[in-house]
Amino acid sequence: MKMLAMVRFTLFEAVRRGTLLFYFAFGTIIIAVFAIWLRKSPEDPSMIMLFGATVPGNINGLSSADFFLVMLFRQSTFWIIILGTFGAAGLMTSFLEKGIVELYLSKPFARWELFASRALGASAGVAANLMYCIVGLWLVFGLKLGVWHFGFLAAGLLVSYAFVCYFSIVSFVAIWSRNAILSIVFGLFFSFISIGLESREKGLYRLWDNTIYHRFLDGFYYLTPQLDGMLSNASRLIGQIPFSQEPAAFNPAPYFYSLGTAALFYCLSVYYFSSRDF
Amino acid sequence: MAIVETYQLSKTYKSGYFKKTSVTALVDASIEVRAGEIFGLLGPNGAGKTTFVKILLSIVRSTNGSAQLLGKPVGDVQSRAHCGYLPENHRYPAFLTALETLLFFGKLNGLQKKGAKDKARQLLEFVGLKEWSDRKIQKFSKGMLQRLGLAQALLNDPEVLFLDEPTDGVDPIGRKEMRDLFLRLKNDGVSIFLNSHLLSEVEMISDRVAILNKGALLKVGTLDEVRGGTTVHRIQIAGLLSPEQIKTIGLESQFLQSDETTTTISVKTDAELNRTIDLLRSWGIMIKSVAQQKSSLEDSFIKLVTNGNPV
Repeated sequence: MKMLAMVRFTLFEAVRRGTLLFYFAFGTIIIAVFAIWLRKSPEDPSMIMLFGATVPGNINGLSSADFFLVMLFRQSTFWIIILGTFGAAGLMTSFLEKGIVELYLSKPFARWELFASRALGASAGVAANLMYCIVGLWLVFGLKLGVWHFGFLAAGLLVSYAFVCYFSIVSFVAIWSRNAILSIVFGLFFSFISIGLESREKGLYRLWDNTIYHRFLDGFYYLTPQLDGMLSNASRLIGQIPFSQEPAAFNPAPYFYSLGTAALFYCLSVYYFSSRDF
Repeated sequence: MAIVETYQLSKTYKSGYFKKTSVTALVDASIEVRAGEIFGLLGPNGAGKTTFVKILLSIVRSTNGSAQLLGKPVGDVQSRAHCGYLPENHRYPAFLTALETLLFFGKLNGLQKKGAKDKARQLLEFVGLKEWSDRKIQKFSKGMLQRLGLAQALLNDPEVLFLDEPTDGVDPIGRKEMRDLFLRLKNDGVSIFLNSHLLSEVEMISDRVAILNKGALLKVGTLDEVRGGTTVHRIQIAGLLSPEQIKTIGLESQFLQSDETTTTISVKTDAELNRTIDLLRSWGIMIKSVAQQKSSLEDSFIKLVTNGNPV
């Protein structure tokens, strides 16, 4: 009951601060763009058109609609998560402000409950907006093209999951520093690093041919949420990634690893929050 | 029954990652607050008063010593369910109305929605904010925020209320109203732990007080005990006394204050009072008034803070 009240309040705060409204407006614009300008090709109804241009198909055996959904998903999810960081990081520091945190801590509410409900509320706000955008696009594709791609919906859920895992790092920095800007900067830095870590054997390894350096990168990869791995695998629920030689098989390993590392970061945050004076 | 009991409570704040610096906020503070009383914790700014309350509510962890709140070790979540707290410089989310603020904090106290709403409306009336219940609190004055803070602290019908500088920023009429509220709460059986540097206010409503300075407790006791219980008699006479007259009537050892038209003589004991009056009357000097005056809490406070040693 108390945790639920804090989760709801966090969502309410996000709305009143405008962060979630901005996110909501952004998602609505994307849905509206597709609702207005997406249609079947009049010449070949198996092909789809956006802004009057035909979307290519049959790359890696993908239909025109699947190709488009995969590309849309691949190009947008990373930025959706970045945008979510901007929306949610402030919520992890605002409750720590002097004069407010004392009120919360004086209530019959364990510190871990306070932290968890706050992180849950912030993540839920982003996930709700993300799913709003995904479901909206899914309906547009279904209603306008007759393509009811459930893999796209499932991929949306996995992106929400990926955000919750990735947000563990942002939350940790926010609790440690009590500075929203620093937590955003650190979150952005980490999200870009995660792309390099996912394909480290083809990129970062070649910067320095040193075993210790390679093991350090491996350690960093396995001890932090595997953001890029989770996003790549989510898109595989839609179809084979175009222009890629990688196998299409969905690999659940990044989700399991990331669950563990996210749990670790959330526990560290709780430990730090619980042992700190305010 | 003690509602708060501390034993050699100490707190040292440490800061800095590389070059550690430490500040001692509290040193071996042992006190007991009894049920149903208003207990005032006095001290100059930075004395450690807020730290003391924050330790009791587990907002700050003590470095040494132990404390119990409502018979349970501090940190026990359930004991906080019976406490109300009005922090110094408290802030509420500015986008909420007064009613929404109380509803939210009511739920954090474990109240159900219906119960929280009824309680919130009742408390807004109690603190005189009924007309403002649907206004955004960003429009509230400092005094109104203090009243709202008090309402927030009372949401769970607390057994003990911790008030940290509750009348700070409140105008004189508001202060009087708040003091009356505290006394009403006391009559309802609520124990009040009052942190303040406003001595006169604490003196007006507290049953017992403690004086804290630089983290150390200097004195704990009833108001009379802390004031030292010293009483003086002041005799005001018309006109002035010359040194020769004073010497003649045997008052050279008495404390004298004179202005152009009157002289005030202070004596400590009843025997001295009677002897002095007899002498003055025997010399035909007109006595204008005789008054008994207790030393004020302020006198004792200043004396203790300036020279005092811990209890």
